[in-house]
Amino acid sequence: MDDQGCPRCKTTKYRNPSLKLMVNVCGHTLCENCVEMLFVRGSGNCVQCDTPLRKSNFRVQLFEDPTVDKEVEIRKKVLKIYNKRDFDFPSLREYNDYLEQVEDIVYNLTNNIDVENTKLRMEQYQRENRDLIQRNKATLTREQEELEELLLLEQQGNEQRRLEVLQEEQRQLQAKRKNKQALLDELEQSQLPATILLAQHKVRAAQLETQIEQQKQTVKPTNLFSTGIHMRQTVSLMAVPKVEEVLYHYKPLQVKTYGPPVPELEQLGRLGYLNHVRAAMPQDTAGGYTSALACHRAVQDAFSGLFPPKG
Amino acid sequence: MKLNIEGLLVYFPYDYIYPEQYSYMLELKRTLDAKGHGVLEMPSGTGKTISLLSLIIAYQRAFPLEVTKLIYCSRTVPEIEKVIEELRKLMEFYSKETGESNNFLALALSSRKNLCIHPEILHANIVVYSYHYLLDPKIADLVSKELAKKSVVVFDEAHNIDNVCIDSMSVNITRRTLDRCQNNVDTLQNTIHKIKETDAAKLREEYRRLVEGLKEANVARETDIYLANPVLPDEILQEAVPGTIRTAEHFVGFLRRFLEYLKSRLRVQHVVQESAPQFLKDIFDKVCIDRKPLRFCAERLQSLLRTLEIADIADFSAVTLISNFATLVSTYSQGFTIIIEPFEDRTPTIANPVLHFSCMDPSIAIKPVFQRFQSVIITSGTLSPLDIYPRILDFRPVTMASFTMTLARTCLCPLIVGRGNDQVALSSKFETREDFAVIRNYGNLLLEMSAIVPDGIVAFFTSYVYMENIVASWYEQGILENIQRNKLIFIETQDAAETSMALEKYQEACENGRGAILLSVARGKVSEGIDFVHHFGRAVIMFGVPYVYTQSRILKARLEYLRDQFQIRENDFLTFDAMRHAAQCVGRAIRGKTDYGLMIFADKRYARADKRGKLPRWIQEHINDGSLNLTVDEAVQLAKHFLRQMAQPFRQEDQLGLSLLTLEQLQSEEMLQKITQIAHQT
Repeated sequence: MDDQGCPRCKTTKYRNPSLKLMVNVCGHTLCENCVEMLFVRGSGNCVQCDTPLRKSNFRVQLFEDPTVDKEVEIRKKVLKIYNKRDFDFPSLREYNDYLEQVEDIVYNLTNNIDVENTKLRMEQYQRENRDLIQRNKATLTREQEELEELLLLEQQGNEQRRLEVLQEEQRQLQAKRKNKQALLDELEQSQLPATILLAQHKVRAAQLETQIEQQKQTVKPTNLFSTGIHMRQTVSLMAVPKVEEVLYHYKPLQVKTYGPPVPELEQLGRLGYLNHVRAAMPQDTAGGYTSALACHRAVQDAFSGLFPPKG
Repeated sequence: MKLNIEGLLVYFPYDYIYPEQYSYMLELKRTLDAKGHGVLEMPSGTGKTISLLSLIIAYQRAFPLEVTKLIYCSRTVPEIEKVIEELRKLMEFYSKETGESNNFLALALSSRKNLCIHPEILHANIVVYSYHYLLDPKIADLVSKELAKKSVVVFDEAHNIDNVCIDSMSVNITRRTLDRCQNNVDTLQNTIHKIKETDAAKLREEYRRLVEGLKEANVARETDIYLANPVLPDEILQEAVPGTIRTAEHFVGFLRRFLEYLKSRLRVQHVVQESAPQFLKDIFDKVCIDRKPLRFCAERLQSLLRTLEIADIADFSAVTLISNFATLVSTYSQGFTIIIEPFEDRTPTIANPVLHFSCMDPSIAIKPVFQRFQSVIITSGTLSPLDIYPRILDFRPVTMASFTMTLARTCLCPLIVGRGNDQVALSSKFETREDFAVIRNYGNLLLEMSAIVPDGIVAFFTSYVYMENIVASWYEQGILENIQRNKLIFIETQDAAETSMALEKYQEACENGRGAILLSVARGKVSEGIDFVHHFGRAVIMFGVPYVYTQSRILKARLEYLRDQFQIRENDFLTFDAMRHAAQCVGRAIRGKTDYGLMIFADKRYARADKRGKLPRWIQEHINDGSLNLTVDEAVQLAKHFLRQMAQPFRQEDQLGLSLLTLEQLQSEEMLQKITQIAHQT
């Protein structure tokens, strides 16, 4: 990029370090000063290809190849219109075909092939899919914001963890230092013989060490080997015999009573049984109790006590 | 001899066996029975290779349906050759004993001369090749696709396996790469243009295939799921290429945009560190490239290169690198970091922008291996502390064992020299590197050792810069002159040709009795590959603790990641890494039970429990409390005593019954008891 120069005034970055190259919609470059000079009236023609251009369409060149700049500009504009996503299509194949169409359009516009027709096609598409375009635009901005939030959260999480680890190390260092200092103080002041103090100190130091070791060993607890076998399981090479059984089929309980059938739980109220039962208090209903339950039980009891008719 | 190991008949091609070899085979058999993974540490020079081979081959013969293949992965070509030698001996022994010619097929893939052919690999029982063929995703796809699930994978000399995994998934991009890639893309475009005029049918055919979502014929599989490309998860591999890069022109335009974006990123003036999702978001904002087409970049490029029938793929290495980078960055959201540096740390004035895409999590590359194969054995001479490997590689082994050497006479003498004769503490700490007294004491140590140790001494420094500084100081102080009166001095440099010349002359000097000292660096070529057997290495001196360059940003990012994910403290990991290199270096001197050597650790920090505890068990055993924190004089006394003892004649019969066993001695009761005590489980 540094050895490119402006095609008109031939200045390069060597001669003018603050040189900026600008690209327009036709794909040709001009340095900033030349743009100022030629487009002082706001519009003019390109030096190399004579297409009518506007000064406001000049953008700073990002890439070494100006055609790439041009293509990226065109692509961004096209993608603003053709912004369907993969879930808008019933099958992957159709989505890929749509993508290919978009590529064709960008290709044509960049290489100035069939520009009129392509533009017409674009306008038609825009008219047909206006609301879909709007909706997709909204979802896209929303998704981008979410992604940025996630990235930010992740970074913050990383920072937190790093600080925590540093603090932990500091704490351990301090604990060790305090231990040593405590030993010196005790030797100075305590009445116990030195050997006992030394032994105590050793025990405390060993405890500290084991604490640190335990903290290091926060390994994810697993009981599975990579191949899927459980740890401490003896693997037998024989195949487990397959047991064939009849499938269980639920049948509701039928109780035979002599006499009229027991009324259902839901009908008790209507039939008037509930008038003879104490109503449920608010505390009772909180637990799920209704007076119909007790009533139903009593009624079932009564009905099952009937004897078969004589004779 | 024929051994019986828990009911398995093992043919061992030698008449004598070491007790730890038997113990090792026992542990190995138990691991294979449990169909799980194992981490086994056995000291170098004790016949690890032959124990592995004989046990696994015996297991294969006994249970041909349980273990169909043995995949033996090693680091360097000389090691692969050694394995093949042992295998040949074993096969001869088998045919001699059983009288029948066995139909075992072993394949070794080493360099481009000996590339594999897929069908042969299917039939081979044993495959020997380098780690990269299994771990590097770009190569594994080509070579290791057809390997069945019921295989045993052995990684030998695997102490550096986490670095191998990380390197295989990391990409460095410089300005030069991008320029070459630009040329490649232009060539591609021209070729497409030409083909369109002559034979457009090929491009149309490719397009049709991509639309239908059909895979290449030799990519589809019916039987076993192949070794999934760890770069792409399974579901993605089944998906069709997205519509944005279907046609060849669109794809080339896509590559061009991506390339321009990378060029613009490399133009920064300060260091930038980002995570992969942030990078992708920036790509989308600047050049409207989505994540999904990036994932398929590598695949699409391969397909294009095949369609255009490009003959010389090597020319397109730059664009292949960029497409691999694209695929990696878009597939993994965690475990990778991107660091863009405008210049290297050590040369701040030279503008040399580079983009480091570095993997921080070695388990990503090796996870498919652990998931796919039923038994993976990681073995080496220096794997301590054992429990770190399961943590960083994220797997749960059924066995973790460390073996010691049974010795009839103590043939290693590790000494920790912490002080000079003037009681100045010796250390290679950054703060004391320029200290005159420390350098003088180091020189004195080397001088005294050169006077009493016969034949060759190997000295390891922590870095090239440090070595050069010290040697320059020694020259000024006149120490070098005194040393040269005793022995010749050779030095390793960063140039490979010079180093091999120095090595050759060093060996010549040791052979003819003149004696020599080889000054080298702990992470250099010498410490990784060369063995100093018998008189080539009677003493190894480790000057300082070989910490890696701790200011590198990639390392800092990796340490942070390890702390967050695996709760491994930064200090612990750095110490572990330094100690494993130190152990590797000193382990170079001992290659067998009749060999003997001095191991001198010249740094006061080695005496601390956290560093001493990270040395392998077979070295730690021989460090007693009296040999910590010696001065140079005391070390010289102990060394003299040790060397005189070792110079006494030592015959094989002295070893029998203790460290070398015949079959009858092996089967005696007390021996079997002792053997069970050799393995130390963690």
